[in-house]
Amino acid sequence: MASSSLKQEGFRYIGKRTPRKDGVAKVSGQMRYTYDIYLPGMLYGRILKSPYPHAKIKNIDVSEAEKMGAVVITFKDVPKKKFNIRLVSADRVNYKDWEVLTDHPKYVGDYVAAVAAETEELAQKAVEAIKIEWEVFEPLLDPFESMKDGRPKIHNKILFGSKEITVKNNVACRLDYSEGDVEKAFKEADVVIERTFKTNRRYHMQLEPKVTVAKPEPDGGITVWTTTQTIHNTRILISQVFDIPMSKVNVKKLPIGGSFGSSIQTNLVTLVAVALALKAGRPVKIALSREEDMYEHSSYQMYFRLKVAARKDGTILAGELENTMDIGGHQIQAYPLLGCLLGWFVSLYKWKNIKYKGIAVYTNKVPACAFRGYGNPQITWAVESVIDELAEALGIDPIELRLKNYVGRGDLFWGQGPTVKSVVKSDGVPELLKKGAELIGWYNRPQPGEQKGRFRRGIGLGRGFHTSGAGGRISGEVIDFTGCILKINEDGSVDYITALQDHGGGSLDAHAKIIAEELGVPLEKINIIWADTQTTVYDVCTHASRGTYVGGEAARRAAREVKKKLLEYAVRLLGDVVNPEALNIKPDEELGQGVIYVEGMPDKKITVGEVAREAWQRNWGSVAAVVSYRATNSPPAYTVYFVEVEVDTETGRLRPVRVVAGADVGTVINPDLAAGQLHGGFAQGWGMAVLEDTPYDPETGELMCRGFITDYKIMTAQDLPKVDDFTVIFASTHEPTGPFGAKGLGEAALNPVAGAVANAIYNAIGVRLYELPITPEKILKALKERGLK
Amino acid sequence: MGKIIRFRLNGRPVSIYVENNELLLNVLREKLGVMSPKYGCGIGECGACTVLLDGEPVLSCLTLAVEVDGKDVVTAEGLAKDSELDVVQRAFIEEGAIQCGYCIPGFILVAKKLLEENPEPDEDFIREYIRGNLCRCTGYVNIVRAIKRAAEELKFHVGKNKQV
Ligand code: FES
Ligand code: FES
Repeated sequence: MASSSLKQEGFRYIGKRTPRKDGVAKVSGQMRYTYDIYLPGMLYGRILKSPYPHAKIKNIDVSEAEKMGAVVITFKDVPKKKFNIRLVSADRVNYKDWEVLTDHPKYVGDYVAAVAAETEELAQKAVEAIKIEWEVFEPLLDPFESMKDGRPKIHNKILFGSKEITVKNNVACRLDYSEGDVEKAFKEADVVIERTFKTNRRYHMQLEPKVTVAKPEPDGGITVWTTTQTIHNTRILISQVFDIPMSKVNVKKLPIGGSFGSSIQTNLVTLVAVALALKAGRPVKIALSREEDMYEHSSYQMYFRLKVAARKDGTILAGELENTMDIGGHQIQAYPLLGCLLGWFVSLYKWKNIKYKGIAVYTNKVPACAFRGYGNPQITWAVESVIDELAEALGIDPIELRLKNYVGRGDLFWGQGPTVKSVVKSDGVPELLKKGAELIGWYNRPQPGEQKGRFRRGIGLGRGFHTSGAGGRISGEVIDFTGCILKINEDGSVDYITALQDHGGGSLDAHAKIIAEELGVPLEKINIIWADTQTTVYDVCTHASRGTYVGGEAARRAAREVKKKLLEYAVRLLGDVVNPEALNIKPDEELGQGVIYVEGMPDKKITVGEVAREAWQRNWGSVAAVVSYRATNSPPAYTVYFVEVEVDTETGRLRPVRVVAGADVGTVINPDLAAGQLHGGFAQGWGMAVLEDTPYDPETGELMCRGFITDYKIMTAQDLPKVDDFTVIFASTHEPTGPFGAKGLGEAALNPVAGAVANAIYNAIGVRLYELPITPEKILKALKERGLK
Repeated sequence: MGKIIRFRLNGRPVSIYVENNELLLNVLREKLGVMSPKYGCGIGECGACTVLLDGEPVLSCLTLAVEVDGKDVVTAEGLAKDSELDVVQRAFIEEGAIQCGYCIPGFILVAKKLLEENPEPDEDFIREYIRGNLCRCTGYVNIVRAIKRAAEELKFHVGKNKQV
């Protein structure tokens, strides 16, 4: 059930349910994803991947493969360059340890060679015909083991910016920070709690595996279709790695079958496809299988030591956090994540005294990358667990304790680590906590551990947030700006051209509504163009929940510019109107046009279509705008989850009974799609809390599931609460810096879920577990150990 | 080794040479240009490749192309009649049940069969019926709603004795 209090009367499109623009194409199977791209004359590529978690190639023989007629490339055929496949960080702080193909694989699945052939079958045979002599090293699968002296070096020399550095003890990077004096605060506090936490290594399981089609062009350039969250950064990387001028690299924007962070970076398969296509002189498609895709990316596994302190009255005095991250075989965004993790931590509660030690460690595992929330779900789980413990120790209601200490309006918020800060201007937390508590029946929840029967139910609360973009007043270490082109066609219809990718959450539909609202033309008139890098201006990437907040504001500004021009032309056409300020535009649904009119004089009017037509016929020129927009804030979108969980104490199985999901996203632009973010966020968070993990075989260094989703389950429709047991509420807030008052949502929708679930489990059975996922086995073991069964 | 197979694809007769070991999914996508059945796993775990074979949902990643000889295959491309979307398709749009959309053709075909089998499904029935189809985006809430809505609309139409 969706109940909401939307304070957005007066809008024509914002906040209204409208059919999404790509809906018809998607339900009728006509949407073309990258997996669906087939070009005439194209070859199929396959990649040879390391069977060992850590090895060196002593000898490689590709002659058999070549005899089959395959085009083959190895590390010898690719540019000798180290780079980072993610370009969101400023170059000077980007760690670079990737190559297109390597003779020194660092995990099972690392790319060592690739082939292209007429059929996929032949390509597979050719890959299997490549002979390699290996030198194999002991795998390091545990970060604490990896850091010890005398262990094999996963990396030796890597680049930091353009400087070469030597990796010591497999430590990829570090970040320490402190504010105030935690030791003193711990001494003075009435309650001190210290805990350790271990998170899981989750696989994104986006439905479309990674895939690329690369087509060489006669001018030496290349056209690329690929699963990416950022066409521009993909273009820049291809240009840098292969020394092709950017104007000759064209990356197409296509719909993507889910991503959740797994393509913020340019997945390596893209570069391999380009290398093969350049060598073959023909288009090449590489489509990864699901098993291969699971060896491509995972979430960051984190180990926390968290120590917090408070006074009797519930004032939090200190927070100390040690964060050890298992990043796998390569750096994608380990360094910025160390900073962001700190940022999420300090933005959860006002700790006053802070100490942070972050360390990112290489292991011989699949490279970790952002996964919806970028570390925020992990730290929020830990902090929300400890805050509940603190409340219990202090005898204060958990809601009250949170309200007393959370970072809210007027406080400093770290949107993206230490270099991206802004002051919170909109805050719906009190409203969401109050309403959510009523809806779930918070004050009637049981006492932890008081229940005796087989099935025990508990209610838990998790509170969190995510940033809206990575904008700020100073430039910092993160690149964050976006651009778009808006033009009124000669019949008054509107083309909206942007590089910004919509992974399905509805950002682009939000933009269309923003444009329609600002411009005063019917929503149907706005056409969202599937563009490419050649025809768009730069957008950094759809990540950090910035699609609506940053991209939407860019769209709004473009609409404003276009509107100004339209009104100027309308003044000329309407004769005696004094100036553009005398005019307004509103949509006329019957005419299917925006109508430009003079207030109070119904006859003084002209449609946008007529103005556009006249501007064309009279040679006045096009009505269009190009905008590039940098946000100077990155406001938090707050979320609150109340979850009721049932524990079967016989089997240890958990069932989500009821959910109240509250979100403060400022103005809600697409109510049904925004609710969809919370539904999907809960499903992923529930999976994170109780199910998903990718353990490794300690001997072989392979994934235990070997990439098969048979053994990497995600939630099905049967595992989740009923429609009427899932309530979504939105706070009635307005973000002054956002387009029509809007903020982000995608990641906030996930972040507090695992914390809420862990707290609900505790409320049901009086047991706290500090390792994710909280599986039935762990529940049973804990119940047994404590004699609670 | 292969043979020529003849079948109906979205109402139209098709005849095509296929290898004995070729999968229906690949033949549809690569030889016939029908892209709505998606590859999501290739091992029968995700439902993205679902098609209707003589009205029954089957996983085309596990079905040999030669098996459809003489049969009737329907994909999401074939549901619209006279360019009017099917009720189930419309319900998915109206309920905001679509995000990335990659899983959606599979869900829609399974939902078609579900409603044929049980025109008044309760929520447990729906959830059990679609449990073989994975969606990573929506948490299934609006998908379940869309199927309920389609059931309502069909009931209304049948009540009015209309052809659906
Ligand atoms: S692709 Fe057929 S079930 Fe997944
Ligand atoms: S809508 Fe993306 S997987 Fe279902």
